[in-house]
Amino acid sequence: MALVLPALLVIATFFAMMSTMVVASFSPADAVQGIRTYTLEHYRRFLASSFYWGYLTGSLWISLYCTFITAVLGYFIAYFMFRSSSVVRLVVGSVLIVQFFTAYVIRSYAVMLLVGKTGFLNQTLLALGIIDAPLRILFTQAAVAIGLVQVSLPFMVFPILASLNAIPTNLEMASASLGASRFKTFWTIVFPLTLPGIAAGVVVVYLFELTSYIVPGMLGGGYADMIANLIYNKAMRSFEYGFAAAAAVVTLVVSAAIVYGLNRSFARITRYAR
Amino acid sequence: MSSWRSSHLLVNFVGSVLVGLLVLPIVVLIGVSFNAGVEQVFPPHGFSLRWYANLANRQGFLDAAKLTLALALGSACISVLVSLGAGVAITRYRFPGRDFLLTLLLSPLIVPQVVVGMAFLVTLSALGIFNSIVSLSLLHCVITLPFALRVVVVALQVHPASIEEAAQSLGASPVRAFFGVTVPQIAPGLLAAGVFAFVTSFENFTASQFLVWDRTTLPIAIYTSVQTENDPTAAALSSLIVAAVIVFIAVFNRFVVRHMLAGRT
Repeated sequence: MALVLPALLVIATFFAMMSTMVVASFSPADAVQGIRTYTLEHYRRFLASSFYWGYLTGSLWISLYCTFITAVLGYFIAYFMFRSSSVVRLVVGSVLIVQFFTAYVIRSYAVMLLVGKTGFLNQTLLALGIIDAPLRILFTQAAVAIGLVQVSLPFMVFPILASLNAIPTNLEMASASLGASRFKTFWTIVFPLTLPGIAAGVVVVYLFELTSYIVPGMLGGGYADMIANLIYNKAMRSFEYGFAAAAAVVTLVVSAAIVYGLNRSFARITRYAR
Repeated sequence: MSSWRSSHLLVNFVGSVLVGLLVLPIVVLIGVSFNAGVEQVFPPHGFSLRWYANLANRQGFLDAAKLTLALALGSACISVLVSLGAGVAITRYRFPGRDFLLTLLLSPLIVPQVVVGMAFLVTLSALGIFNSIVSLSLLHCVITLPFALRVVVVALQVHPASIEEAAQSLGASPVRAFFGVTVPQIAPGLLAAGVFAFVTSFENFTASQFLVWDRTTLPIAIYTSVQTENDPTAAALSSLIVAAVIVFIAVFNRFVVRHMLAGRT
């Protein structure tokens, strides 16, 4: 099939490179040119040391609670847009789309200017007399968490808004006419119908946050590194390609397992909503 | 009725606050870029355009901008053409393993960028290729293809083959029917695919940073500048890019929004 050939060529390049990385992760650090030997030393080193292993569990944990915060805030924004007039919806939608298309580097830098020692947040709090000395937010895990939520919010809002828009309007009217309160209508009718949207957002956001590099790099400043920073530092600062490749393979396997697991369990939860 | 009103007020209030918080960093960024002094403070102390003028002296940023634009345009064009071929094959022809082929072609989407960068680094350094332009071109074609392909496939599915077949039954050759009937129909989809590919390439940082041996890209130049310098030049450059994004969206909005949900993860 001549039509798919170029695409197959591109994807073959991709898989060839991925396999080279997997091979590199099993190659000894002191490999002799021309002789192929295999070893598990890199994996053993990564998995045996809680120092290295901690980067992965730390990343899993921070992205878990940040995904939860993103989901709650994202739901609020989506619901606000859903309930608002078309003008408000256009304005908020434009804000989100601009965020969506602006490079992560720029958005992280903007958060840095906001939460830094002389940043807008500290200056406002000082001027209002709420604090006496600037808060140390930048270069802590809190700054990384703020950055992760800020950067990934659009990924959460769009799928939730799509599932809200798909709800027939007369469904809510029917519920109200049968005597349900506004909150009961939301909780028993609207919310369950938006579960597929939440599920789609959660999968994308969790994977994105788990392996983000720029946000911890810029807002953590080396004090709150995540797994992607470890891989980069090992490869580009200390040139331990084998070890970095092994860490990358572990990260790939863990994130693929998470996507698979989340999709499976969400499919069960949202079975009735579809 | 009063409970309805109060819950409505609550939603509006919390929603407005959240949207305000979402915009705030970008507002601060733009404010900082207009500082008269070297401090990166908001509200700005004084007003000047000196940091924008300073950009003209920064050859590093200019070189990075040229390379980034060239990469984004080149990889977007290639990805759209390649996706068009693959998309037509997948949506218009029946052959065994068709669904598997689509899954295979979209599979790079779930591979984290840091893993992709690592794979390219290991392979290219083993091959002795330490040329950033060659490496980044290859990388950007690989990472933009699935984004473009997903949009193109949806566009082709929405426009059924029946109209193309009608043109053929009226005597048009298959090639003429395709380029005269189908391509104009899916043109907005192709444009949207190009926009997504362009943006994906333009803002790519995590995978690209493994391959910047002799040249660098704009996001990486901004990152390095933020880490090593302490004046609002990077804020001025970032504000310019935000302004470009706003203009870009104003122009392409009607093509992009429709494909928003099909477009990107």
